[in-house]
Amino acid sequence: MTNSSNHSINTSAIAGVSVWVGLVVVISDWMGKQAHHWLPVQASTAAPLVDDLFSFETALGTFVFIGVVSVMVWVMLFNRAEKYDETDAIPIEGNTRLEVIWTAIPFVLVMAIAFWTIRATGELGTLGPMEHIHLRNSAEEAGGYAGDRLPAEQVEVIARQWSWEFRYPGSDVSSTELHLAVDQRVTFRLVSEDVLHGFYIPAFRVKQDVIPGRAIDLNVTPTLEGVYRLRDSQFSGTWFAANQADVVVESAEAHQAWLDNAARSPLQPGLSQAVSEYAIRQARANPGWATVPPAPPPQVNMPGSPDQPHTA
Amino acid sequence: MTTTTLHEEHPKHNLTGFIIFLCSESVIFLAFFSGYALLKTSALNWLPNGVEGLEWRMPLVNTIVLVSSSGTIALAEHFKGRGKMLLFRGFWLLSMAMGAYFLYGQAVEWSGLKFGFTSGTFGGTFYLLTGFHGLHVATGILLMGLMLIKSFIPGNYSGGEQGVQATSLFWHFVDVIWIILFLLIYVWQ
Amino acid sequence: MTIATFPPEPKPEPSWGRYFGFCTDAKVIGIQYIVTAFFFFLIGGLLAMVIRGELITPASDLVDRAVYNGIYTMHGTIMLFLFIFPVLNGLNNLLIPTMIGAPDMAFPRLNAVAFWLVPIFGFLLIASFFVPGGPAYSGWWSYPPVSTQNPVGHLINGQGMWITAVALSGVSSIMGAINFVTTILRMRAPGMTLFRMPVFCWTALAAQSLQLIGLPALTGGAIMLLMDLTFGTSFYRPEGGGDPVLYQHLFWFYSHPAVYVIILPVFGIFSELFPVYSRKPLFGYVYVALASFIIVGLGLIVWVHHFFSSGVAQWMRNLFMVTTMLIAVPTGVKVFAWLGTIWGGKLRLTTPMLFCLGGLFNFVFAGITGIMLATVPVDIHVSNTYFVVGHFHYVIYGAAVMGIFAAIYHWFPKFIGRMPYEGLGKLHCLLTFVGANLNFLPMHPLGLMGMPRRVSSYDPEFTFWNVIASLGAFLLGVSIIPFLLNMVSAWIRGPKATHNPWNAIGLEWLLPSPPPEDNFGEDVPTVISRPYGYGSGEPLVEHQEEIERRLQLQEAAS
Ligand code: HEA
Ligand code: HEA
Ligand code: CUA
Ligand SMILES: [Cu+2]
Repeated sequence: MTNSSNHSINTSAIAGVSVWVGLVVVISDWMGKQAHHWLPVQASTAAPLVDDLFSFETALGTFVFIGVVSVMVWVMLFNRAEKYDETDAIPIEGNTRLEVIWTAIPFVLVMAIAFWTIRATGELGTLGPMEHIHLRNSAEEAGGYAGDRLPAEQVEVIARQWSWEFRYPGSDVSSTELHLAVDQRVTFRLVSEDVLHGFYIPAFRVKQDVIPGRAIDLNVTPTLEGVYRLRDSQFSGTWFAANQADVVVESAEAHQAWLDNAARSPLQPGLSQAVSEYAIRQARANPGWATVPPAPPPQVNMPGSPDQPHTA
Repeated sequence: MTTTTLHEEHPKHNLTGFIIFLCSESVIFLAFFSGYALLKTSALNWLPNGVEGLEWRMPLVNTIVLVSSSGTIALAEHFKGRGKMLLFRGFWLLSMAMGAYFLYGQAVEWSGLKFGFTSGTFGGTFYLLTGFHGLHVATGILLMGLMLIKSFIPGNYSGGEQGVQATSLFWHFVDVIWIILFLLIYVWQ
Repeated sequence: MTIATFPPEPKPEPSWGRYFGFCTDAKVIGIQYIVTAFFFFLIGGLLAMVIRGELITPASDLVDRAVYNGIYTMHGTIMLFLFIFPVLNGLNNLLIPTMIGAPDMAFPRLNAVAFWLVPIFGFLLIASFFVPGGPAYSGWWSYPPVSTQNPVGHLINGQGMWITAVALSGVSSIMGAINFVTTILRMRAPGMTLFRMPVFCWTALAAQSLQLIGLPALTGGAIMLLMDLTFGTSFYRPEGGGDPVLYQHLFWFYSHPAVYVIILPVFGIFSELFPVYSRKPLFGYVYVALASFIIVGLGLIVWVHHFFSSGVAQWMRNLFMVTTMLIAVPTGVKVFAWLGTIWGGKLRLTTPMLFCLGGLFNFVFAGITGIMLATVPVDIHVSNTYFVVGHFHYVIYGAAVMGIFAAIYHWFPKFIGRMPYEGLGKLHCLLTFVGANLNFLPMHPLGLMGMPRRVSSYDPEFTFWNVIASLGAFLLGVSIIPFLLNMVSAWIRGPKATHNPWNAIGLEWLLPSPPPEDNFGEDVPTVISRPYGYGSGEPLVEHQEEIERRLQLQEAAS
């Protein structure tokens, strides 16, 4: 895109531009690698797919962004009007060849991303969020998912204003702290008793709205032991921010031990920050703007510990 | 944008504006219709218990009356073009009467129904669609009344009356909406 | 241009009164819109300052949680429905008639009514702060069932007032849209074919068409929401067989296009200003103009990208991802056209130009994060996190609002008749650019780390970036001071402006500053060439020298 017709300048310009483009490619590649450090630990089979895609997009985005900005900077440095120069520049109305090029290139690029993504989500299909199921027709409900061979542990997730309850039908126990066995595929059945909630575990890179009146199945395979956060990601009212829980991914043995222990322990009030804060709030002379009262804490075998350190 | 070519001939822009408005207005109905279809297809017990389907004969009569009123209003416009003001007023009044009859029929049907506004999505959507459309019919009748009165102002139509065109356009619009509505609610059961 | 104007205004300086009354002059209405919008901008901004104050520490300590939710909800609502849309309609009122050589809008009275609805529903919305139970708190989406829980239990409640206000704003916007579209289609100066029309009018036409198609869907959705809230219907209530996701479709069918309603006129502003300040024709005018309508078409079929994680079928996700991605293409055409325009130009880095360059910088950044959001797996992770908040503040504040500032500095002399001060303007630009990036860049790492939006408290690991964001926000708060200073003092005692201080090409610059009530009146010049004829030397209209000589004589006289 040089407005000079002079041949010798042209060649050197082309040389300069190509050097710069090379440099930008290197920088973009580097940024792409950096992108991985901006994300939480990869604790599920879904995570690597998401992160690679994001890293690729970061690289591409960096290239586009620096490309555009370098033109702007160049122009601002070298195409400034001299002081008191009131004249106009050479009138270039346009250039159809260029228009075609810069229509085609972005088109190809975004379609490439889309293609890659559809393939990635195809694989994610067995891991990531699923088509949801209406409680009403059980025909769908029976249907499993493509490539879903190994028997998955079932965990029922009940979202409320504002607490998370987890039920393990396999060994009928319940908790307000999610416990999972590493490398063991798990199928969550997400239900809400009041409003929309969001089942979001950043370390797993999964997020799925919990919709009242529906049961939504979601398959995940944790791959890394540790303690992670489960956060409500769909605004659910006053204590939305406090509607979080810990996710403990442990070895198969530890997990079994926990389940057995749970089976032995009696039902007791689970964790619910909202309930305690609500009590304080109501105690105040003027409770302030109206709020829906929190649901009582669910009765569970294993409340879990309120504030243990989490890795992500 | 389609409206430009349509109205090059007119000196004023009211009709252009009105047509643009109608295009926009139709989207509200589109929203309600798609909502109705979505709720109906995804519902497992669509009809509130105790209600088995809707009676369609009387609404059909209503439909015929309303649709034919589109013809009468067109005739009225035609005669206005010919300058036959009496015939214009006659057919214009007839169209108003037919519209009024439609509203009456609607009221009778409503009063006979065993379900209410709040009985499930069926009740909600039914009253929303028919009610919202009924509002438009009433508006149409009012507009016609206005035009009828204006038609007595001497020389009012010398410059070509866009109000009459707009009103009959609106009336046709209301008819088309009703036909879709009838198919959705009464035929598709 | 001495045609009787009614009501007859003897003195050249018309009275201030008309700015406070029901006036049908589009130029007055335009300024009424802009001033009203900035009043609400200050309120919305003040709320933003509270938001950032709360979020400077992890704990929920500055305001009660319920208050926080009300404040972020009202911040978003005020900024969109009471600031950005009104300010853009203000520019439409000022620019469309003068740019196409029309004496006024097609329906001046409707125009005034549309404006006066704004303070009315604005008052309604602000009043909701003071009703028992407080204002709406369910976010500017007002997703049911949260939005229909009505904890206070009164018939008059914040949420109900919110819905009513939004519906009224829809009515006002529809009135405006009908007016703008009709005016552009039917009232252009002789010789001004569509392809001789300034790009701002193209983008305004595109944006207003989107309003006409999209808004009724929102209105329909809002009506049903209000009935669920007030009359106990169950359109969206699962108990009664209703479906909350239906609302999401209706809401986003409008509210995605709404974002292009916001940005398209800003594209128009860029396309007008880059040629002026680089003294070159707009590169590929026809492509830039047509791209607007390709964006309209695509913009109408991407809405699902706002609720990928709400549980929509996989094929739907893929489909809407592809359509969303495609928008990069026509948008790219525009971006590259602007680069082609400034390339090899003779740049004048005035305040408006600097705002445009800064806006373009931010826009490209935001566009790229937008593409990231469009890709489903990435969106699943960052949806409803601060990554999204970062994305759209970059585009809305960094690009749209900066573009609007550019427009204000550029056309202030034309419609106020006085020059704003460059020094203050450049300071405003610098503070805005630095503040916006300091404020909104940190939101991206926060989102990637997994910090949800709409939270009144957060885990300690998010503190660092939140502190930086808050400092940036306060800098933005300060940035508004030189702007207000500049506007007020320039309006009162700024140096008188000539009819064409930037030596720009366009019908509006062939009018005196400020233009008379009926603009060109009877003798509308005949357009004989395309806009942006910089450097070509060919005149825009017949008898151009004559018109300009007359204007110079007038200026010499006064
Ligand atoms: C003016 C407003 C505006 C604009 C212009 C845009 C532009 C875009 N937006 Fe944005 N967006 C918002 C305002 C806007 N957005 C708002 C307010 C929200 C959140 C609402 C809420 O949740 O409260 C949102 C949310 C939002 C989401 C939902 C995220 C979520 O909630 O999970 C998505 C997802 O796809 C998205 C995508 C895009 C895309 C693809 C564009 C594209 O139009 C961008 C196209 C531009 C470019 C791509 C850059 C220029 C192009 C080139 C230089 C060519 C080469 C480029 C490539 C090859 C990549 N936006
Ligand atoms: C035009 C649109 C617009 C604009 C301009 C802004 C401007 C700003 N926004 Fe806005 N914002 C939205 C639209 C906008 N926002 C929307 C739609 C949402 C989503 C809401 C939702 O989730 O439902 C949102 C949400 C949102 C959030 C997320 C809240 C949450 O999810 O919990 C945050 C947090 O930082 C934020 C911050 C800011 C800041 C710091 C600014 C700054 O740029 C503001 C700068 C302010 C000024 C320049 C004026 C300063 C005024 C003063 C200093 C006081 C003087 C006042 C008087 C004299 C009365 N915004
Ligand atoms: Cu003007 Cu039809
Ligand atoms: Cu969008």
